[in-house]
Amino acid sequence: MTPFELAEPKTLNEAIALLDAEDPDVRPISGGTALMLMMKSGVFRPNRLVSLQRVEADYSRIQRGGDGTLRIGALASLSQIEHSGEVRQVAPVIEKTMRHLSNVRVRNVARLGGNLAHGDPHMDLPPVLSSLGAKAIVAGPSGQREIMIEELFSGYYETVLDRNELITFVDVPSQAGWSSVYFKCTTRSADDWPALGIACSLRVENGSIGDVRLMISAATEKLTRLVATEKVLRGQQASEALFERAGESAMAEAEVIDDSRGSASYKSELVRVYVKRALRQASVGATQS
Amino acid sequence: MTIHSLMPAGQVGRSLPRLEARAKVTGRADYVHNLRLPGMLIAKVARATVAHGRIVSIDTSAARALKGVFAVYTGEDIRKHIPQPYYGPAFHDQPILALDKVRHVGEPVAVCLAEDAHIAERAAQLIEVEYEEMPAVFDEVEAMDSKAVVHDVLKPAGTFPDLKHLHGKKDTNIALDFHLKRGDVEGAFASAAHVFEHEFHTQQVMHTPLEPMVSAAEPTREGLTIHTASQSPSFVRIEISRLLGWPENKVQVKVPHLGGGFGAKLYIKLEALVAALALMTKRPVKWSLTMEEQFYTISKHATTFRIKSAVDADGKVTGRSCAVYWNGGAYADIGPRVTQKSGFTAPGPYDIDNVAIESYALYTNRPPAGALRGFGIPQLVWAYESHTDLIARGLNIDPVEFRRKNILREGRPQATGTAMKDAAIDLVLEKIAERMNWSAPFDRGTGTVLRGRGVGVGFKASISPTTSVAFVNIYADGSCALYMSTVDMGQGSDTAMAQIVAEVLNVQTENVRVIHPDTDVTPYDMATLGSRSTFHMGNAVKLAAEDAKQKLEAMARSVGVPENANIETREIFKKKYGMQAGNVMGVGSFIPTYKSPDSVTGMSDNITPFWMVGGTGVEIEVDTETGHVKLTKLINVADMGRPLNPNIVETQLSGAAIMQLGFTMFENMEYDAGQVTNASFADYKIPGIHDIPPDIENHIVLAEQGGGPFGAKGVGESATFGVSPAIANAIHDAVGVRLTDLPLTAESVLRGIRLKAGNPIGE
Ligand SMILES: Cc1cc2nc3c(=O)[nH]c(=O)nc-3n(C[C@H](O)[C@H](O)[C@H](O)COP(=O)(O)OP(=O)(O)OC[C@H]3O[C@@H](n4cnc5c(N)ncnc54)[C@H](O)[C@@H]3O)c2cc1C
Repeated sequence: MTPFELAEPKTLNEAIALLDAEDPDVRPISGGTALMLMMKSGVFRPNRLVSLQRVEADYSRIQRGGDGTLRIGALASLSQIEHSGEVRQVAPVIEKTMRHLSNVRVRNVARLGGNLAHGDPHMDLPPVLSSLGAKAIVAGPSGQREIMIEELFSGYYETVLDRNELITFVDVPSQAGWSSVYFKCTTRSADDWPALGIACSLRVENGSIGDVRLMISAATEKLTRLVATEKVLRGQQASEALFERAGESAMAEAEVIDDSRGSASYKSELVRVYVKRALRQASVGATQS
Repeated sequence: MTIHSLMPAGQVGRSLPRLEARAKVTGRADYVHNLRLPGMLIAKVARATVAHGRIVSIDTSAARALKGVFAVYTGEDIRKHIPQPYYGPAFHDQPILALDKVRHVGEPVAVCLAEDAHIAERAAQLIEVEYEEMPAVFDEVEAMDSKAVVHDVLKPAGTFPDLKHLHGKKDTNIALDFHLKRGDVEGAFASAAHVFEHEFHTQQVMHTPLEPMVSAAEPTREGLTIHTASQSPSFVRIEISRLLGWPENKVQVKVPHLGGGFGAKLYIKLEALVAALALMTKRPVKWSLTMEEQFYTISKHATTFRIKSAVDADGKVTGRSCAVYWNGGAYADIGPRVTQKSGFTAPGPYDIDNVAIESYALYTNRPPAGALRGFGIPQLVWAYESHTDLIARGLNIDPVEFRRKNILREGRPQATGTAMKDAAIDLVLEKIAERMNWSAPFDRGTGTVLRGRGVGVGFKASISPTTSVAFVNIYADGSCALYMSTVDMGQGSDTAMAQIVAEVLNVQTENVRVIHPDTDVTPYDMATLGSRSTFHMGNAVKLAAEDAKQKLEAMARSVGVPENANIETREIFKKKYGMQAGNVMGVGSFIPTYKSPDSVTGMSDNITPFWMVGGTGVEIEVDTETGHVKLTKLINVADMGRPLNPNIVETQLSGAAIMQLGFTMFENMEYDAGQVTNASFADYKIPGIHDIPPDIENHIVLAEQGGGPFGAKGVGESATFGVSPAIANAIHDAVGVRLTDLPLTAESVLRGIRLKAGNPIGE
């Protein structure tokens, strides 16, 4: 690591002003768990890091709005989210996901904003939050904008964020009537990044799939919504045969890539199996609730 | 666990916690990692980017120009100070910094020194090297006759007689060829009722000690002091003095605690470079590797093992031939020893009259391979226990029953001809079968989750002949200290050795002070490796303590203390010296007998001072839709004689098995043109807490090691032996798929299932 400037602004606006839309060597840092790995390996050599630590107090709260919306500060640590009663009430799938996300040491340090902004397709929270219909509230020099999590990613380690924009909050809408599951499939150690992530939220109405959001990550270049497979499902009677068909459809739809966690052809098989299993479990949850 | 009774003084056999536990958990234990010396320079190296290539030029100007850089050196600069800058335990083949050519990606080519580690690191990145690339060889079997030759001339170190014939050899990558022949193998195959032949592979993996390698050297008035995280301080002193042409007494080597070793920190690693740099700069120099750099420093051999067996109509194995190819990487390190010492056990713990073994150490253009928790044995057990299972299945005999029929029992000759002694192989097998309830009906699962079970049993000879020396010093107040060069890298040797002293002197173990290796103070020991310390150093320690005791008793007699008088030790010293003064120094030196294998037949009637025996039984669940294997039960059983400290023994058994679990299920150094593509913990995964099976048992069979201290022998490696084949055998049992290559990934299991179902998965 070579020396660099570490800025520690006290307000969000100061932080945004210290960022640089043009310079890739200036970046915000929250938990630093992802950035430090890149810096140690020499992949990233910053000129300036803008620490968000002193801004944290205002952007790490977890609150519930009157309409049932859950607002999570982007600087909340993953552990804080894991142990929040509000989060558990609105979306228990988030807590379950956290338990298998890396390890407690990483969760104590890593922040929600970093997990989203890094753009790494192997992160667990993007598929989960997007299947819940969540959106990111983003602040930049010219004010605020909202981005659906499913639209946040533009490629492998790429997001639609400008270099001088910061994620400030994530809003999760009320989940009344929805049932959600996340399947993280690892192929090496249990605490590895996923080889495949499948998140599924659905509503069952009179035994049929009323609505569904189906997300795939890790095996694909970026978080992807399986739109065609959702069409196969919508309005259909929930059944083993339907889930099988959806699995086949997902396998055909997803653009799975090779990596050290498995070949593309193997991971395509995993897509088929895990989509089926996710639908099966989510529909059981939907019927029970 | 089986309970052995305590020895008379109540110290040996006691499960006391580790002596250093409190210091470690409160962060007070010493590690070289934390060492700072006044005026110290930090070294960072520039590493080769090609697998095999002539060095055309090295441009260090940009690195030198960087502000804060103290010096930049290449191999040629080292050669000016040390005319023959090549080191290694078996071959003098490894240059301190690359000379003339590089032989693997990641080989150190130049070094940058600065007071600030970040500046040294930046400087190292500024070094430009131009190579003329040469053809490279990466596969061990191809290396047997490849056009790419890693070393122009072979340079055996001269320490091992069986390497002498390789001196000066050219155009070969074979760094040792071990052959053994006993009985009439061709005859056995000609008259066999059944012949089975298989080929197995293991992958290259790394030790991943959590404290990466680190060494510092300090010029002193007398010579050099080296502070190093080493498992072999005595060897470091010998090798550094050889390189420098100095007498041994000018080199001091000090070793505090180690954050893991597993064979990575053996012989000589970073010490040669820091020693050279300290002399060249006249300043202390420290070099710490990152976790990533360790992948380019030492690893465990990848292997190919071809095994063929002749079996008669009764299911008795009558002949076996073994050909083992060890991928040693670019420098021999201790690979040739692995090739021979493990090689002669390649037919496994079975009573087979006719055996032939060929075992080859091969140079390739990968990072070097050496010893890793088992010294080659896990690679062999993987193959012979998979093969054994396949034979049993082929003959429709229960796998445990088949082993019983063929197992090598006490008194019977092993492949080398040495009769087995104090090797409870049969007891280990029976204990596994008992704990697994082997004869009871087994639930095979339903739907997409099928269950299976498997066993694997292996054995290992101890490296020999090797020497250990210990001192036990009784001070005038009656307290005492143990001086030894055994390195406690987490295995608990300080505690176990203190228990031996305490037992002999009839004191509390907690009151025995253990002096850590310092070659100016502590006596010679070959190294902390191959589970040899309990037996070898344990004997030396026991002899030293007994010597001290006898000298103390003689002193008591000399001052007129009657036999069996109830008198405190301090009073004896007072009577002798008139005040609190003097010492009693006990010395113990131990070297077991040994006969090296015959150079033609490979035979010996005394091949090892003791045998290690370990086995594993597992139950698993296979997800037939994804290929995932879940371990539900893991039973490790070993014969380690009498445990000195049952708690430490248990943690060694579970630790070894879990480490081997990683090597079995997913650890794998992946390559692209000789470059390791996953050289970091982000991408090279080791087992975490969720990978450990819910049900894990460790057992010691009731046994006693003749000639071992209080009947004890080594334990650090035994539970690695059976893990890999037990799991592969269980997979076969569950879904009928046989995997012959490690690691046993979910993908390979699913591919096997689908192939068998006639519905293969595309490439
Ligand atoms: C060993 C290990 C294993 C892991 N395994 C998993 C796993 O299995 N699943 C998983 O999901 N994750 C895993 N992680 C990743 C971990 O969750 C991420 O590293 C973490 O979420 C990133 O958060 P951070 O706060 O540390 O980000 P940082 O490292 O601080 O930042 C990451 C990126 O986001 C940018 N950034 C940070 N905050 C903001 C913000 N508020 N607005 C805009 N940009 C921002 C930074 O500039 C940087 O580019 C693992 C990490 C480690 C170290």
